[in-house]
Amino acid sequence: MPYLARLEKAGIPTVVIDFEDQTEMVKQTALVNGIPNVRYLHASRVLTGPEDVDNIIGPIMEALTEPLTDKEKETGRWEPPQQRILFEGTLDEAETFYQKTTLVPFPINAPIAVYTDGLPIRVPTEERVREMLTGTRHKPDELITYQSERPAMMRGREKKKGDVVEFEPMKMTATVEKVATIAVMAGCKPEHLPAVLAIAESSCSTGTTVFWGQWVCISGPYAKEIGMNVGAGMIDPGSPVNMPIGRAYQLIAINLGGATPGVNRMNSIGSPFNSGGTCFAENADGLPAGWKGLNEEYGFKKDESVAMVMNVGGSIQGGQFSPGGYRALQKSGHGGIARRLDVKGTPGPHNFLEYLLPGFWASREGGITFVMVPEMAQHLHDYGFKTKDEVYEWVQKRSLTTVEHYKTYSWPDIGTNGWLGIEPTSGKHWKELADDYLVPLVNDPRDICIIVGGGEEEVCQELAGRRGASSPVYSIDAWR
Amino acid sequence: MADTEKTYKCLNPAGIQPATETYALAPRLDALDGKEIYFSICGEPDITIPLEKRLKTDYPNVTWKIKKTYGTTPMPLSDEEMRTCDGVIQGVAW
Repeated sequence: MPYLARLEKAGIPTVVIDFEDQTEMVKQTALVNGIPNVRYLHASRVLTGPEDVDNIIGPIMEALTEPLTDKEKETGRWEPPQQRILFEGTLDEAETFYQKTTLVPFPINAPIAVYTDGLPIRVPTEERVREMLTGTRHKPDELITYQSERPAMMRGREKKKGDVVEFEPMKMTATVEKVATIAVMAGCKPEHLPAVLAIAESSCSTGTTVFWGQWVCISGPYAKEIGMNVGAGMIDPGSPVNMPIGRAYQLIAINLGGATPGVNRMNSIGSPFNSGGTCFAENADGLPAGWKGLNEEYGFKKDESVAMVMNVGGSIQGGQFSPGGYRALQKSGHGGIARRLDVKGTPGPHNFLEYLLPGFWASREGGITFVMVPEMAQHLHDYGFKTKDEVYEWVQKRSLTTVEHYKTYSWPDIGTNGWLGIEPTSGKHWKELADDYLVPLVNDPRDICIIVGGGEEEVCQELAGRRGASSPVYSIDAWR
Repeated sequence: MADTEKTYKCLNPAGIQPATETYALAPRLDALDGKEIYFSICGEPDITIPLEKRLKTDYPNVTWKIKKTYGTTPMPLSDEEMRTCDGVIQGVAW
């Protein structure tokens, strides 16, 4: 939309074609970019192209030629009111006020909470926010800024230390006090605030369409310091630390980013990570010898604490082991998994990733984040992966597939710009490659990630991977 | 005063929205014939391929120019192209 705004301001008439369910998003983005009355037509999600064109070709040309209405000729200034004190009243009255909803039209046609994630919140009185602010040395009126350089990501630009964080999609800014306000609402304690501020530094994006899941993993001594659950059920309810910090991400996205389902947050079904928010922590004590923690993977020291803030496509899956099935594999080489891996009768350690991997890329490409319990990480180490990097490189090699098969995935049509570019591993044009040439489904070994944590029952869950070229990690210590 | 009647000032969690100047749309075209119009294509070839064909056949007196990407970020017009461009149709992403 910034591009269309540039054209309109330069005197070039435009018309946008998109789907009906995107109408609220088009209107809001057009407003934020200064052209609130942009002309917009609906294409169909279901009609064939020629039928759809029959319907829209006339309106397209009318949109370029019909004279402007009085409304479309208006100029002005959009400046939403901003007051520090939002409500004054009793706690009961405040609780009702903060549960305010707005009716969001198609594709929702239902009320959506304005200030919350749909659940009641802890009312952010001045007193409670003042107490929350004791959790950081940063001043209440300080704007949230980047604490380190950040490379450009996707449509974004490079960020320098000190640049003000703009919360997407509405490009709002925020003070430390606002983040503390949200931390109160989420149910956090003052000692949780440095993590919440680090999360805020990420700008708490929620993605646009399809389905995006947001989750946070804490790495470093801070996790133990504030009493996070790194054991059984660390992604389940129950922890009064994990839960409110995870919830703060979502409340930041809603209040500082303006993320609204059906308007600019267009997950078609949604992700369980986002319900109530998700924050867990790495079990540093559970790392095998020689395996780096997430903090060290990103160049921090072992005694430094970071928040890995992820907004990734997809949800969670995991291999389903029967009770004792995984143990039978590793202890004595028996059971179905051992038969699959052809190690029947041979005690472990065995590489269980061989069992998990083939199904992962059935309908998706890209990296994987493995969240595994310490026992299983130790098995991989004892099997021979003495560092996490060795696992990452091994998984990437396993992702090799033929060009013929690669062309049957959905994203590469877009990622290769219609197969018009150069294939990176060969340096050749995509159209010159033989069908049996092997290409990786994972671009970079660092698109793969291992997080060690969880309980004693042998479970390894897979989430979407990271982008190896960028860093999703934010210093918590910078916000103490 | 009973505790339930005590009043509190409660803070605003909403972000600081920068003010935005809003502009009138560009004047529309008085005619199509003789104009140079760009069709800026972002994905959805099922729609954009037949649309491109129909634009060229239904409006043959328009000079049609195409900017195309399979991705979702439009290929922008250069400053030079903007000087002679009379209109842009953008779809299906923007």
